[in-house]
Amino acid sequence: MNEPTFLILTALAGEARHGYAVIEDVEGMTGGRVRLRAGTLYAALDRLRGEGLIEVDREEVVQSRLRRYYRLTGAGEQSLAAETARLREQATIAEGRLRARRADFGGATA
Amino acid sequence: MTEIRYRRLLALYPRDFRQEYGDEMLGVLMADPRPGPAQAFDVARGAVAAHFRGLWAGESRAARVVQIFGAMLLFAVALRRLVSELYVTVRHYAEVGTQYIEVTSWVRVLAWGVALAAALLGWRLLGAAGASAGLAGEILVPARSYVETPATVLYAYWLIVSAALVLIAGLVADRGTARPRGWQWIVAASTVLVVQGVLAPPLRTGAYDLQWIIVLVAVVLAAMAIFRQERRLRTRLLCWAAPVVATVPVIEFGFGEFIVYNMGHPESTHMINPVQWAVLGLAPAAVFIGASLLDRRGRLAEGGHAAA
Repeated sequence: MNEPTFLILTALAGEARHGYAVIEDVEGMTGGRVRLRAGTLYAALDRLRGEGLIEVDREEVVQSRLRRYYRLTGAGEQSLAAETARLREQATIAEGRLRARRADFGGATA
Repeated sequence: MTEIRYRRLLALYPRDFRQEYGDEMLGVLMADPRPGPAQAFDVARGAVAAHFRGLWAGESRAARVVQIFGAMLLFAVALRRLVSELYVTVRHYAEVGTQYIEVTSWVRVLAWGVALAAALLGWRLLGAAGASAGLAGEILVPARSYVETPATVLYAYWLIVSAALVLIAGLVADRGTARPRGWQWIVAASTVLVVQGVLAPPLRTGAYDLQWIIVLVAVVLAAMAIFRQERRLRTRLLCWAAPVVATVPVIEFGFGEFIVYNMGHPESTHMINPVQWAVLGLAPAAVFIGASLLDRRGRLAEGGHAAA
C-alpha cells in the first residue's frame, strides 16, 4: 500500500469525509508534509471504491455543486489494520536496531 | 485558474469517470488554494491513468478465468488425443501395432497439464512455460505434415489460436489461487471431450458424425460456464472467446476453396501464400480488438443511459 492510499484510508477511518476534507485531514496528520492534489486523490478514491475498501456515505449539494462523503468499509478497515500492523512491526525493528546502535556507540566512546 | 480552465482539464478524463467525479473534482480544484502548472499536471496525469485503468479494468480478472478455463479445455483435448490413440492401440494391436502412439501427444498432455496446474495455483512463470510448450506442440504437430497436406495447419488453426490466447491470458492474469464460478461446467465439457476419444476413435465407422455431436455437447457445456458469470465478466470472456469462434468462418469462407482444390489435386498441391499467412496471423487480433471496442462502446452507452 503506498503512502497516499494509507493516508486516505486513515483519514476516512476517523469519520466519513468529502474530498477536500480528506486533503485537509491528510495535510494535518502529516504536519503539512503531504498535501494531496485533486487528480491524485480522485484516482485513489476511484481505485479504493473499485477494490471495495471505501464506499459513498452520503451526498449533499453545496453551492450547487455535488459533495460526496466517503467512508471506510469493513474490508477497508481490515486492510488499514493489516498495513498498520506491518508498519508498526517494521518501526519496532528499526527502533530496536537504532537503540542497539546507540548502545554500541555509547560503549565505544565511553 | 478559472472554472472554465479546470473544466477543460477535466474533459481529458474518460466520460464515465467524469460523470462520476467531475463535479466533485471541480469543487475540490476550486477550493484548493494551489492553482498552477503542478495542479494542471496532476489532473492531466490522473486523466491519463484513468484512461489506462478503464482499458484495463477487469481484464486481469477475465484473463485469469480465460487462463483456467482455456488450460482445462486444452488439457482435455490433449488427453482426448492420447486416450484415442491408446484405445485404438489396445483394441487393434494385432493390426496397427504402436503406430498410433505419438510422443507429441504425451508431450502436449504434459505441457497443458503443467499449464493447468499453474493456472489453478496462480504461478505465472510456470503457467507461461507450460502454455508455451503446449502452443509449440499445437503448431509443430500440424507443421510436420504441412508440405504434403497444407490443410492440416488450417484444421489445427482453432487450437493454435486457443493456445496462444491461454498463453497471453496467463501473462496478464491476476495472481494467486482461484476457482472461478462455473468451473464445474468446464470440467463437464472437458470430461465429454476426453470420453470422445473412446466413443469416437479414428478407426470406428461413422465416428466422424459422433465426434461432432460430442464436440457440440462440449461447446454447449463450455458456453454455460461463460453464461454463469456476472455480466461484466461475461462480456469480457466473450471478447476473449471471439478470436477462437472466428476461426470457423475464417477457415470456412477464407480457405474453403483452397482445401477443396488441394483435396482434388494431390499432384499440384497449393501452399498457403504470404497474404493468407498474414490473414491467419492478424485475424484473431483484429477480432479481439473489434469485440473489445464493441464491448467498450456498449458500456459507455449504458453509462450514458444510466446517467441520463
